[in-house]
Amino acid sequence: MQTEILQRPDFSMVRATFERAGEAIVATAGTMVSRDTSVQMKTGLTGGLLASAKRKLLGGESLFLNTFTASAPGETVYLAPAAEGDLAEFRVRSGESLFIHSGAFLAGETTVKLDTKWGGAKGFFGAGMFLLKAEGEGRVLVNAYGALHPVDVSGQGFICDNENIVAFTDGLQYDVRRIGGMKGLFFSGEGLVCHFRGRGRLWMQTRNPARFAAWVHPFRRVKAKAQGGD
Amino acid sequence: MNHEITHGPSFAVLKVGLQRGDVLTAEAGSMVSRFPRVKMRTRINAPRSAGFFGKLGAFLTALVRKFIAGESFMVNDFSCDEGGEVTLAPTFSGTIAVRKLHGDRILLTRGAFLACAGDLQLKMRWGGLRGLLAREGLFFMEVSGTGELFYTSYGGTLEVPVNGTLTVDHGHVVAFDPALDFRIRLPGGGFLGLVASGVGLVMEFSGRGAVVLQSRNVSTLASWLTPRLP
Amino acid sequence: MQIDLQHRPSQAMAHVVLTPGESVTAESGAMVGMTPNVQVQTGSGGLLKGIKRMFGGESFFRNTFICSQGSEVGEVYLAATLPGDLVVLDVGASKYYLQNHAYVASTPGVDVDTRVGGFKTFLSGEGLFVLKTTGQGQVIAGAFGAIEEVRVRGEYIVDTGHLVAWEDSLQFRITKAADGWISSWLSGEGLVCHFTGNGTLWTQTRNPSEYGEEIGRRLPPRES
Repeated sequence: MQTEILQRPDFSMVRATFERAGEAIVATAGTMVSRDTSVQMKTGLTGGLLASAKRKLLGGESLFLNTFTASAPGETVYLAPAAEGDLAEFRVRSGESLFIHSGAFLAGETTVKLDTKWGGAKGFFGAGMFLLKAEGEGRVLVNAYGALHPVDVSGQGFICDNENIVAFTDGLQYDVRRIGGMKGLFFSGEGLVCHFRGRGRLWMQTRNPARFAAWVHPFRRVKAKAQGGD
Repeated sequence: MNHEITHGPSFAVLKVGLQRGDVLTAEAGSMVSRFPRVKMRTRINAPRSAGFFGKLGAFLTALVRKFIAGESFMVNDFSCDEGGEVTLAPTFSGTIAVRKLHGDRILLTRGAFLACAGDLQLKMRWGGLRGLLAREGLFFMEVSGTGELFYTSYGGTLEVPVNGTLTVDHGHVVAFDPALDFRIRLPGGGFLGLVASGVGLVMEFSGRGAVVLQSRNVSTLASWLTPRLP
Repeated sequence: MQIDLQHRPSQAMAHVVLTPGESVTAESGAMVGMTPNVQVQTGSGGLLKGIKRMFGGESFFRNTFICSQGSEVGEVYLAATLPGDLVVLDVGASKYYLQNHAYVASTPGVDVDTRVGGFKTFLSGEGLFVLKTTGQGQVIAGAFGAIEEVRVRGEYIVDTGHLVAWEDSLQFRITKAADGWISSWLSGEGLVCHFTGNGTLWTQTRNPSEYGEEIGRRLPPRES
């Protein structure tokens, strides 16, 4: 399977071209732009329906994923994330996993395992977002809201706003906290940050989805109030 | 009349230099700036016809355009006898493309129209019953005649030739060849696919011709934002 | 202090390098990342200033990032909410007005004050207030979209939603887009800003309110 990232850097989209029948790519729901009609599309949850239900009970999270399978060589699928920004391809190797923000995972080869019930996943982000662990062997495509900015972490480490985290390498220690002390707790507007230490690489996105959502909030229509009693 | 598209591909704006006799018809609300001597005349967005019934027909067509198809009710005609410049911008981030028509036709999706000049006819075409399932209905604008058409995209554009059949998420279609046949379908992918695939209505194109895709989709953006809203 | 703008022109982010003791003040929520030797202080810069900011729809508080004493430099990455470009303005002999939401950050010597922009700006939906920057130092302004620098010689008309910043050597008047009130409303152009004089102004290639409306109407309605 060949992958090519087009329309960089602001509206990046990936074109996956299959080389053999039966080759497949797994992508987050809602990301298909177009495909040759003969490509099969099947929807599922990470780990399958039952496993996901069990997972939810035990505190993990799930992602809806679409699997696109080729029926002949040369077929293509175009995938794009929801928000504007860049895309990058990473290689996962055994012993070299990658931690990815659930909203940043676009697609991956079927040889990559996504662990969503790994402990430490909760409490990182709000609203059903979580940290994915990508393990195994193969390629993953990661999207950013905005530009993707790599930071090499070493020495004193680096502090990143949680909303700006895209992915980071195995081997980094992280510690989630608030900044600015008591006043900062309520007023700094900075929310949660993550202090990374150790040696490794962190990828940040230049835009903050929560801030954007808060910005757009006043433009929403107001719900009509109920008339009198129920 | 001359034009320049600057700040592409992500935040493209259209600068048009008007000479005596030139008229640029633009989507209402799209003006960024102009020389004070450029005249702006607002009129109802419908083909001009003489007589009372013609005007009434025009008024109703414009209403349909506004509420069902999402095009503005009004358009602005810019002209300048002494020569002047006007700058237009669309609402979303993305490109602006120009297409010169010489008696041929092109179909645009709703919201893609920015401006036009010359002797062009703009007609609304309906996508069929299934199109109504799309949250905003499925209307296309057929542009024909001789002149210049300026249209926009949300994201970058890619022209994809159709060889056989091509399935495209309808939110990612900007424009296409009227010679193509198309069907509007539900996304497929099995029972779970209906609910969970996240892919909206798809258009299945067949025949010979090209489809212009955009690499972002407003409905997907709205779905992405929804869980992140305060 | 060094300010380096990266990922231009559409996803711009300011990379600020501070020497020990130096500081930079930024809009609430603008921080993307920073080195751990930078302290964050949340304050209003003065009670009256904070209150005026709230009237302008901005946050009461601003954050000041200070590099701790020591041997290493501190780094702070700052970005605006909407995608687009950033511009660094040198305040000193020139003073600038900024559209309220365009402010991202400034150096300590710059005084940023909320001013009444005129009743008509209120009607335009852009709000009643603008920011005036005076003093000595630099201001980082953010745009929605690309930034276009325009040298005005005489006069120029800009849609109020597309304004980022302008030199105070320019006079400006808010006027209707067309000749009559009804045609202005119908034209969809709303109010425009008519500048006269000589000076530089900065426009953004997209209109935030228009964008917000388009997305807002596709989102589920809100409670209040």
